[in-house]
Amino acid sequence: MIKIDHVTYRYDEEHTALKDISLEINKGEMLAIVGHNGSGKSTLAKHLNALLLPTAGHVTVEGMDTAVEGNTLNIRKKVGMVFQNPDNQIVTTIVEEDVAFGPENLGVHPEEIRRRVNESLKAVGMEAYARSAPHMLSGGQKQRIAIAGMLAMEPEVLVLDEATAMLDPQGRRDVLDIVGRLNRERGMTVVMITQYMEEALAADRVIVMADGMLIAQGTPREVFSRGRELRANGLDLPPIAMLRDKLIDGGMNIPADVITAEELAEAICPLK
Amino acid sequence: MLKDITLGQYFPGNSFVHRLDPRTKLLLMSAYIVAVFIVRNMWLFTLVAAYVIGVTAIAGVPVSYLWRSLKPLRFILIFMFVINLLVTATGDTLFEWWIIKITTGGLRQAVYISLRLILLVSGTSLMTLTTTPIALTDGLERLLSPFAKMGFPAHELAMMMTIALRFIPTLIEEADKITRAQTARGADFETGSLIDRAKAMVTILVPLFVSAFRRADELAMAMESRCYHGGEGRTRMTVLKYTKNDLKAALSMALLIGIIITVQAVA
Amino acid sequence: MPIEVKRLCHTYLAGTAGEKAALKDIELNIEKGEFFGIIGHTGSGKSTLLQHMGGIMPPEAGTVIVDGYDFADKKQRIEGRKKVGLVFQYPEYQLFEETVAKDIAFGPKNMKLEQEEIDRRVRRAMELVGLDWERFAEKSPFELSGGEKRRAALAGIIAMEPGYLILDEPMAGLDPAGRRAILDMLDGIRRETGCAVIMVSHSMDDIAAYSDRVAVMQDGSIISTGTPAEIFGGELDLEAMGLELPAASGLGNLLRSKGMDVPEIYTMDGMAEYLLGRRQSA
Repeated sequence: MIKIDHVTYRYDEEHTALKDISLEINKGEMLAIVGHNGSGKSTLAKHLNALLLPTAGHVTVEGMDTAVEGNTLNIRKKVGMVFQNPDNQIVTTIVEEDVAFGPENLGVHPEEIRRRVNESLKAVGMEAYARSAPHMLSGGQKQRIAIAGMLAMEPEVLVLDEATAMLDPQGRRDVLDIVGRLNRERGMTVVMITQYMEEALAADRVIVMADGMLIAQGTPREVFSRGRELRANGLDLPPIAMLRDKLIDGGMNIPADVITAEELAEAICPLK
Repeated sequence: MLKDITLGQYFPGNSFVHRLDPRTKLLLMSAYIVAVFIVRNMWLFTLVAAYVIGVTAIAGVPVSYLWRSLKPLRFILIFMFVINLLVTATGDTLFEWWIIKITTGGLRQAVYISLRLILLVSGTSLMTLTTTPIALTDGLERLLSPFAKMGFPAHELAMMMTIALRFIPTLIEEADKITRAQTARGADFETGSLIDRAKAMVTILVPLFVSAFRRADELAMAMESRCYHGGEGRTRMTVLKYTKNDLKAALSMALLIGIIITVQAVA
Repeated sequence: MPIEVKRLCHTYLAGTAGEKAALKDIELNIEKGEFFGIIGHTGSGKSTLLQHMGGIMPPEAGTVIVDGYDFADKKQRIEGRKKVGLVFQYPEYQLFEETVAKDIAFGPKNMKLEQEEIDRRVRRAMELVGLDWERFAEKSPFELSGGEKRRAALAGIIAMEPGYLILDEPMAGLDPAGRRAILDMLDGIRRETGCAVIMVSHSMDDIAAYSDRVAVMQDGSIISTGTPAEIFGGELDLEAMGLELPAASGLGNLLRSKGMDVPEIYTMDGMAEYLLGRRQSA
């Protein structure tokens, strides 16, 4: 689906945000990219829909090179992106008009836009707010509108660039539920950039970034069983994995690849 | 709270007037303004006033709302009335004292000017009371779109207005928050000299500007991600369509202007 | 003398159709030097309560008394405000000066302190938040990284040397390492200066690990106040209030459901200690 081939990105002479990254994003997968602030994960995200172009290397979306200007619109049609600040991505004063903004830009027929808007609002459970003013909504609701705005463009990939960072727990749960459902039920490819390790647990695959480099990848189980390595890079594990390592260090016989509370409880109980 | 302030003065409703196409309302408003300016007869002023009151009634907007829109104008009204009364010197002299001379012509002129102002403001208020700012923006964009071919930035103008309308409540809320935060740091916005207060304002304005630029930056990125590339090739979800109602409204305005012109030609 | 809140009420948009009770009969005492956590769903009134204690909102009904200053009286409120340092969400958005040092000096300057005292406080505040004077004092606050900006903004409040540091989600938007750094820093400042820390957070793990006492808010009321053990001990149905359980409490519940006899433990460190201790004694 998306191929990132030896991509390097420099802001200026001194600051290199991405260092020779290679990565393939497969159709239908849920991929989480984690890393601390400044690890380059957001910079990488902005390469996926040609908001940023590589200083060296190539990014291709279904064979279309993002560096070729003629591809830009087609790429953005395929790769929808939701950003961190819910306020700064809603353009108009009425919810449904905002959801219509993307398809309008694509020159979609009015009746078809109407159909897509209604359907997208329903998919994020916001149909009751179609005529509301965005500034009266909560952060989580605004992010759901932003997702609906992307869905209305009927993309194949949904990139969430720290879309949950500014939300309260309820808003976060709602957004994650919706994204999980889109992935499972519609086969939507999801790329989730996040600093919450717990969110990465739901992914099929986790990429860990530090200092502009890709330092680990694999299933959540594979990645989060390498706790020492990650901590050495200043990264936190999900709380359960941290407890697991403490118990192992204390001499308890617990498998190193336990990552959920349920599994940990299973592992502890027989030991009593 | 500040964020509950709605922009403009929209009075929600679903009347005949509310449902009119915003383009119709904008066009009829222009015609109305012309009508108000050509009227030179007390009876016709009454007719125009009756028309405005009639539309207000159909729209279901309380007359007190029109009254409220006139309130800020009272000083200008008095000023215009007095100036015209004193400066115009035609017809019979009604009153004379020192250098002050009031004539029938002056009185007429003063009354006409005041009536024109009142009718103008109440008419335009009626439009903003029955049309949302976004619908007005939309109507304006589409009315001006023929001029886009001549290089007039109709779409860009409308987009700017839309974004401004969208972000004003957000920025008001933000200014309010920054004000509280600086108050918590001991900033004083209420007392002190003018210079002190201007200095205190800086503590609000700098963060507000920094934030507005950050927002603009992020919004531009979000718009690009949603394939925004100017007005070219863009469609709209809501297509404005003229209906029979628009025709009826236009006819009523035509009738009003027709009467005004006929009566004044005969007189 | 501590913070005393008695029968405090507040209504938004009083007298209009949108009228909404934001605070209902709040009773609260906060002691000097304690770490006090406030939890509750978004819209439960936490921020409104903080602003009352911070002297930004005058009480409409009821009283807020801080170190003997009655906040119902405007003069006393303005004077008493100096005792509390109120830190809003995303405080870095209030930075405005040319340099970090000048920005931090803004609060002390408004307190009309001597220049020497201001300098001393700015240096000390920077030291407390971990911003090196040599490196940061003359820098523009807008050149700092996200985490550094947050520290600079906090230093601006700390330099006012409040007896009570009141914070609305001070870790919002930071990554896990950044969150822990801010929490440890706040706890360190509390130990060093003896000021109380009153903190609103959505992170139950953080509240459970750091607080001496916790208040739970719902729909504008405080429905419970107690030690973390009392609040997270299982008697309150936090999940029904839309709140999360600390991860350790969740694990404890799972272990009990599997037939293991585990006491109520609400921090991961406590859980590790308990499980390892239990193993050794067995």
